[in-house]
Amino acid sequence: MTVEWAGGPPGAKQAPSASAARPYGRGDGQHDTVLVVDDDTSILDTVSSILSGEGYDVVSAASGKEALEAVARKQPVVILLDMRMPVMDGWAVARALRSQGISVPIVVMTAADSAKRWADEVGAEGYLAKPFGLDELLTAVERFRGPGGRTN
Amino acid sequence: MNAFELISAVTQIIYVLIFISVALRLARQPTRAHADMTLFFGATAFVILVSRVAALTGSAPPWLTTVEVAVLMALPYMLLRLVDDFTHVRTALKRAAELGLAAGIVATSVTVPALPTPVMLYVVLYFFVVSISCAVAFFRSARRSRGVTRRRMEAISLGSILLGTDILIAGLTGLARPDDRAVLQALGQLLGLGSGIAYYLGFAPPPLLRRAWQEPELRAFLARAASLPRLPTTLDIVRDLEHGAASSTGTAARIGLWQDDTSKLRFWEEDDKTVDLEPGTHFAGRAFELQRPIFSTDPIRDNPDGAAAYRSRGIGAILAAPITAGERRLGVLTLSAQRPPIFAASDIELAGLLADQAAVILESRALIDDAARVRAREEATRLKDDFLSAAAHDLRTPLTTIVAQAELLERRAMREPTAPADIAGIRRVVREGKRLAGLVGDLLDATRLEQGGLVGEREPVDLAVLAQELCAHDAVETSSCRVEASAPVVGEYDRRRVEQLLQNLIENARKYSPERTPIRIRVWRQDGEARITVEDSGIGIPAADLPRIFERFSRASNVDDRRFHGMGLGLFICRGIVEEHGGRIWVESEVGKGSTFHVALPIADEGGSKR
Repeated sequence: MTVEWAGGPPGAKQAPSASAARPYGRGDGQHDTVLVVDDDTSILDTVSSILSGEGYDVVSAASGKEALEAVARKQPVVILLDMRMPVMDGWAVARALRSQGISVPIVVMTAADSAKRWADEVGAEGYLAKPFGLDELLTAVERFRGPGGRTN
Repeated sequence: MNAFELISAVTQIIYVLIFISVALRLARQPTRAHADMTLFFGATAFVILVSRVAALTGSAPPWLTTVEVAVLMALPYMLLRLVDDFTHVRTALKRAAELGLAAGIVATSVTVPALPTPVMLYVVLYFFVVSISCAVAFFRSARRSRGVTRRRMEAISLGSILLGTDILIAGLTGLARPDDRAVLQALGQLLGLGSGIAYYLGFAPPPLLRRAWQEPELRAFLARAASLPRLPTTLDIVRDLEHGAASSTGTAARIGLWQDDTSKLRFWEEDDKTVDLEPGTHFAGRAFELQRPIFSTDPIRDNPDGAAAYRSRGIGAILAAPITAGERRLGVLTLSAQRPPIFAASDIELAGLLADQAAVILESRALIDDAARVRAREEATRLKDDFLSAAAHDLRTPLTTIVAQAELLERRAMREPTAPADIAGIRRVVREGKRLAGLVGDLLDATRLEQGGLVGEREPVDLAVLAQELCAHDAVETSSCRVEASAPVVGEYDRRRVEQLLQNLIENARKYSPERTPIRIRVWRQDGEARITVEDSGIGIPAADLPRIFERFSRASNVDDRRFHGMGLGLFICRGIVEEHGGRIWVESEVGKGSTFHVALPIADEGGSKR
């Protein structure tokens, strides 16, 4: 599987300004935070342990609601977002974030046949079609790593 | 010529015209009813002719007067015969009329040419009474008929009343004072004209009037027709069409539909039993084969094969019309009545119109059915696509963990061969691998089930023991499982499948129940069946979902389907296992209180409880 990009950062929110010149990384030597959202705990645990092994700060959320709360607490550099979740699905999470003016890059994770279509539909920056391998996952996240994010 | 003479002449012309019209009809269709009509109006024309001749010559020979009076007296009797042609006239009434007629003829021929007052009164009264009886009979018959036939009989009834009254007045004229005679004569002439017009409308109505009389019946029929093709089944449509045709024609109506598979016409009895008819046999089969209406006023003679049925149902006339839409022969409309309708031509016309309308309705129905079939095919394709998508989705989810986690384990092992094993990661792979195996098994079972080959070799199985084993094996600290069984319940089952059934039900109960709430299993014998219930106090199933709960990919709407992993195949497979064993499965449930799944399975033999 390869990671494809669904286009540049979406919308006017991406227009560079003095305060938001580098929205994705902290650039302060700290670890980059990645938010992983999936209601399947096995996937959540696996993805988390892979990414933490690569030096990311991983925040995991098992539902759409938890995901929004996590973003409110600390904005990640990228969100890995599962599409099919009960109550609040990935699509609703993406919409809620955009409507709040939060333009964190999103990488859609889905086991559906039409992963790319989903990514386009929610205006995501990329997608991971399940099942994905280790390298695909890392490549997908790598792009959003800040220059000083890697410490080891 | 004064006004009286003009009216008289018009009346006489009308009667002669009717005579010519019915005589022509008799020539075309020699039926008893037409013969009786011709006789009646022939007699009238004769009386008219004689009176004209007498008026011209000034006097008539006495024998002619005798014949004239005899024929005049015979008129109401002939009317009675006409009544008898389409409705039953009591034999006593017929005999009385014949006796009265004979007595009248004898009395007049003896006293001719100067009829004494009592004889005159007798003749007039006889005429009046019989005419009015006929009028009443026609009127009652009209009440039972519909449409054109009804209007025509009403006209004839009116004509008979007017004619009877006319003769009564003519007789009284002779007895009246000279001053009153002119008035009575005028009245008599008007009544005569009225009866002539009424008879004309009844016996030979112009086509325009006939159509006008037909219209309300057809309109009523058409008003219902628009909604007919949407009725649930074709049989419902047939029933409604039969009802409509029966009430439009005042007869009993039956519709037979052509069956392509058997090449027969199928009729439905009142109790929905079917009767199949070969084309070419009976009236319906003949009308279907010849593709034209067939009319019989003597069905027993014309179709001896059906004689028994005609006798038992008292059918004296049958009309069969083909129901055909363009080239497509759809069936036959059959109308049957106890007496041959006196007005066959208009009834055949009406039956033809009704049959055409039925063809339109049945053809629309066929189109609706075709559209439904196409939709069903599309729906089946969609379901299959949905199934593949859902299956792919559900299989990819555990695969994601297995692939990614295994690669991570590999990478770690390569980078740090001496580091302690990542037990949590290994467990994840194992757990998701098992989950994947379960899903694949369910998918295979569901596919086998559709081919009807889920249950294999059977052996004696004690359900009570099996339930206890499963319960004990499944007991985990978070919930308790209790089996209530007082005696062995043994049947011939596929052990593996029955085990799977109970396992699925127990897992379901556990999955949808709060932790630490008990699951209760009961196993017992009842009414020659093995009975099992699995009861939980979980979230329950909304009533709206109950009918679909055993269907493929069905989950109750209150189940959040990510928390409860599975493909929605568990209960579908359970139902398959039970049904292939010849048993039943059902569920009782209340949201928030819990669910009880019931299973009934056949028991091996009557001894049942082998030890």
